[in-house]
Amino acid sequence: MLRTRFIALLAVTALAATTSACGSDDSSDAAPATGGADKVKVGVIPIVDVAPIYLGKAKGFFTKQNVDLSLEQAQGGAAIVPAVVSGQYQFGFSNVVSLMIGQSKNVPIKAVANGNNATADAAKDFSGLLVKDSAITRPKDLEGKTVASNTLKNIVDTSVKDLVRKDGGDPSKVKFVEIAFPDMAAALDANRVQAIFVVEPFLTSAKAKGWKQIGSFAAVSPSLQVAAYFTSQQLLGEKADLVKRFSAAMKESLAYADAHPDEVRQIVTTYTTIKAEAAAAMTLPKFAPDMDKTSLDTMSNLLVQEGLLAAPADTAKLFQ
Amino acid sequence: MTTPRVARRRAGDNPALLGLVGILAFAALLEVLPRAGVLPAEYLPPTSRIVSALLDEFGRGSFWQAVGGTITTWLLGLVIAVVAGIVLGIVIGSVPALRLATASTVEFLRPIPSVALLPLAVVLFSAPIRSILLLVVYASFWPVLIQVLHGVTDIDPVARETALSYRLDRWRRARYLVWPTTLPYVMTGIRLAASVALVLTITGELLIGGTKGIGERIAVAQSSITVPSMYALIVVSGLIGVLANVATRRAERLVLAWHPAVRREFPL
Repeated sequence: MLRTRFIALLAVTALAATTSACGSDDSSDAAPATGGADKVKVGVIPIVDVAPIYLGKAKGFFTKQNVDLSLEQAQGGAAIVPAVVSGQYQFGFSNVVSLMIGQSKNVPIKAVANGNNATADAAKDFSGLLVKDSAITRPKDLEGKTVASNTLKNIVDTSVKDLVRKDGGDPSKVKFVEIAFPDMAAALDANRVQAIFVVEPFLTSAKAKGWKQIGSFAAVSPSLQVAAYFTSQQLLGEKADLVKRFSAAMKESLAYADAHPDEVRQIVTTYTTIKAEAAAAMTLPKFAPDMDKTSLDTMSNLLVQEGLLAAPADTAKLFQ
Repeated sequence: MTTPRVARRRAGDNPALLGLVGILAFAALLEVLPRAGVLPAEYLPPTSRIVSALLDEFGRGSFWQAVGGTITTWLLGLVIAVVAGIVLGIVIGSVPALRLATASTVEFLRPIPSVALLPLAVVLFSAPIRSILLLVVYASFWPVLIQVLHGVTDIDPVARETALSYRLDRWRRARYLVWPTTLPYVMTGIRLAASVALVLTITGELLIGGTKGIGERIAVAQSSITVPSMYALIVVSGLIGVLANVATRRAERLVLAWHPAVRREFPL
């Protein structure tokens, strides 16, 4: 989800209505299979965050709900959102900020299950704001510095700005540059930026260099909901029962994943090429079975503060 | 008679051998530089580690699926672009008015980088494979079209006059005059388009994903910090490119065996 490269989110959202018209012929993909189970395609990003759905599939939680799940790996929300809106995929994985911004631009989507959360411990999260320079000891020190963010005007830079503000600093004095997670460590190594915000598995490998952590998603809000699984309003209207069964299976998968971290670490190595040792060393996100209403509202307010939303998102309507 | 043949066999003149020496020197350089600390080994591992990651990949079924996926998308895009380029090129090239009317539009559209159309591709076609194909076809269509347009106007005036005085009808003129003249240009267009199409196939897989392919695998390796595998896959995309080039050159020689330029050509 954080790999979400919202290449021209505006174009995507503005044209989403068109897409749904162009792609309506594809919605037949959602037709029930001969065995009675609904064939469902889910657009996911091959990162740690989506481990529960892979685990849930392996454990048969979806079969139990009569859902024949197939997971399609895409490179980011920019590709997943249009595919879900048009019915090419029935569900997709996206970070919550992209969903809120999408909703504000009338993209017909609805989040139906939690994705993943920050941990409860700000110092030990699956995400981290890291610095190399020992003179920088707290978020406020980032004033006048350059911070790497995987996307601009999205969840990462909004979170960093919040940390700076809460620390008594002026977030408008922090400069952000867009650098993909895999390239961040090299950028900090070369002093092209003074701070990076990474997630696992990059966090563990970056910390091993002795870089200091001065923030995380968990520092914004403990158990901050980072992502969600969403569907289109159309599918919700036509197959409310299928959506309900998907949500139920997802909920079971999340609870199972949260209770079985070792199985999460194992399944991650099956759909990524993360080495088993690296998977064992990672800090896993929290997988709460339900959406975190409080943190969603917190994030929505931050987005309003940053001017990314004109008014707070209708989180009750967007997130089931 | 014997002297030039001896000269030809000298190592300095053998292109295949020289090519091999070039590759080995490059590989050796990439082995030494990271080990000597000139390049950071963490971000650019030495050749030996890339080769061992490559051998690991060869042993995985999913790797071959990805290779198959990339080649399928590439060929599909290339065929669409070539057919469209030839048909439109011959039609536009044969009608002077049409040619003049489209010239500026073609020159306007041609330099637009296909990747810049990525957001459009993504929203236009929700199925990832179609979005990738749009990028591939858009990029590889132009070299074919431009070559065909040149080819159609390159008809030898004497041959044309001859065809006219023999009263060949439109179809026969196209078959025996326009097509043989254009064919060498078409083949050049295909060769240019083939490498462009491959680049765009892998770019599309890398940025859009949603389909089995080398590009997607590169992205996964990247986000899993398996740097040697990432470079191994990049090497694979290079190898596919080399094979594509060899294949198109072979095809060119086969199809144009009658052509004076090919008959005189020095074999590789």
